[in-house]
Amino acid sequence: MHELILMWRNTRMVVLTAMCASFYAAVLIPFLVVPIIPGVTHFRPANALPVVCSFLFGPAAVWGAAIGNLIGDFFTGLGPGDLFGFIGNFLYALAPYRLWRACASSDPVPRTPTAWLLFVVVVVTGAGLCAATVGFGLQVLGFVPFAVLANVVIVNNSVTALVLAPLLLAVLYPRVRRVRLLHGDIMGPHPAPSTVRLVLGVGLAIAGALVAFVGGNCAAVGVLPPSFVAATPDLTLAVIVLPGLALAAAGLALL
Amino acid sequence: MALSLYFDRSSWLHRRHPIAKVLVLVLLFFAAFLLADPLPLACLFVLVFAVTASARALPVLHRMRWLMIPVFFFTVIIWTLFYPATAGAPVDRWAALRYGLAMALRLETFLATGFVFLATTTIEEFAFALARLGVPYRAGFVLTLAFRLVPVFFEAALTVRDAQRCRGLDFASGSVATRIARYGPVIVPVFIGGLRRADQMAFALEVRGFSAGRPRTSLPRPGIDAGDLWLLATGVAIAVATLVVP
Repeated sequence: MHELILMWRNTRMVVLTAMCASFYAAVLIPFLVVPIIPGVTHFRPANALPVVCSFLFGPAAVWGAAIGNLIGDFFTGLGPGDLFGFIGNFLYALAPYRLWRACASSDPVPRTPTAWLLFVVVVVTGAGLCAATVGFGLQVLGFVPFAVLANVVIVNNSVTALVLAPLLLAVLYPRVRRVRLLHGDIMGPHPAPSTVRLVLGVGLAIAGALVAFVGGNCAAVGVLPPSFVAATPDLTLAVIVLPGLALAAAGLALL
Repeated sequence: MALSLYFDRSSWLHRRHPIAKVLVLVLLFFAAFLLADPLPLACLFVLVFAVTASARALPVLHRMRWLMIPVFFFTVIIWTLFYPATAGAPVDRWAALRYGLAMALRLETFLATGFVFLATTTIEEFAFALARLGVPYRAGFVLTLAFRLVPVFFEAALTVRDAQRCRGLDFASGSVATRIARYGPVIVPVFIGGLRRADQMAFALEVRGFSAGRPRTSLPRPGIDAGDLWLLATGVAIAVATLVVP
């Protein structure tokens, strides 16, 4: 996680953060008029961009996705739910480059079946973390039930990212590498963690995303065993989702 | 779609200090979150509506009616259906409808409060308030820079789209998926152009001492005055009142 703080000292990374944020917002805004859940979420082909930028610019894309989503929200009204959108998009862009870097040494342009499988896993993990965060936050605030929103978000994020991100990466990754603007070129190579740390980090990140998203859905529709059920539905959801998100964040921090 | 919800007027709310406005925004969110009954939530919504009218910012609510009206009906329906009833007990339909109405009024209050804030506060004022409230300067800088770059990207995208159209690329025919796919030759040049701009901007910032590490100077701004204190006191009073409302 140190690089997420360290990048703010690098002027080029700061400017790339602004570029990622504005590019994300610029593609989000025209589609605000195509709502899926009015006032809460809409058709978002722009959701491919945090994944693309994550592989290209790493930590700059993580902050850029969070800030870009906030700027998009400036056009549909600022509210307390935007805090969860900020955190959700932060995790959505954090998972892809961290998990890919831990599991593969090749370029993040899926060409082989193994690369495609890994690509699907990293994108769906990020989308699951975003869905669980936003779904939990907006249920607690009373906007939309978790069972509705989290599933809409994960489908919206995964489909757009899995369809559009590989196409964009195939074109953009070689060009950005040529001009030496990949995050590794700007901030220096990342020291390789030990194998134990890698396995633990990847395991925790994926398990945490599963617990938060699947467990959250189970809690939201009321199919949990009685021992997991707390005093209120929101508390039950918090007991399941928050530890899952914490596990995933800890796993990503290890990578 | 206009690229800002800000209305350049000279109302009493426009003149308030941005820190006071951010704090009152948070207090009103807090108040709306604590209320669970439709009647006090409706009162709070009417209050926010009255503030919007007095700040001559009603056009922002009119502009966003395409969002606010469907949100209300959608929220009432969805929370009436997803009413968190006690497990095993029969669902009280009247209580479910009342709950749905409360959730819809809460969401409308959140939206209206956010709109009146954005209609009376520029992005620079917002970033200034965040910096004064402890958010690092560079984060505020990124927020304002990104906000300023959005129209630049739009303009670049329109230019590239026109250039591609001149070369014979048809954006108007075919299925939705086909038309979206045709925007690939627009996105890539805009992205690469943005990268070039980012690189130049980083150099420009560096030569102006962005990373010099010295204490930063800024234009002096007026401090918090009596009007701001009154606004803050009102926000606190509303938040405290919601704690005693059953």
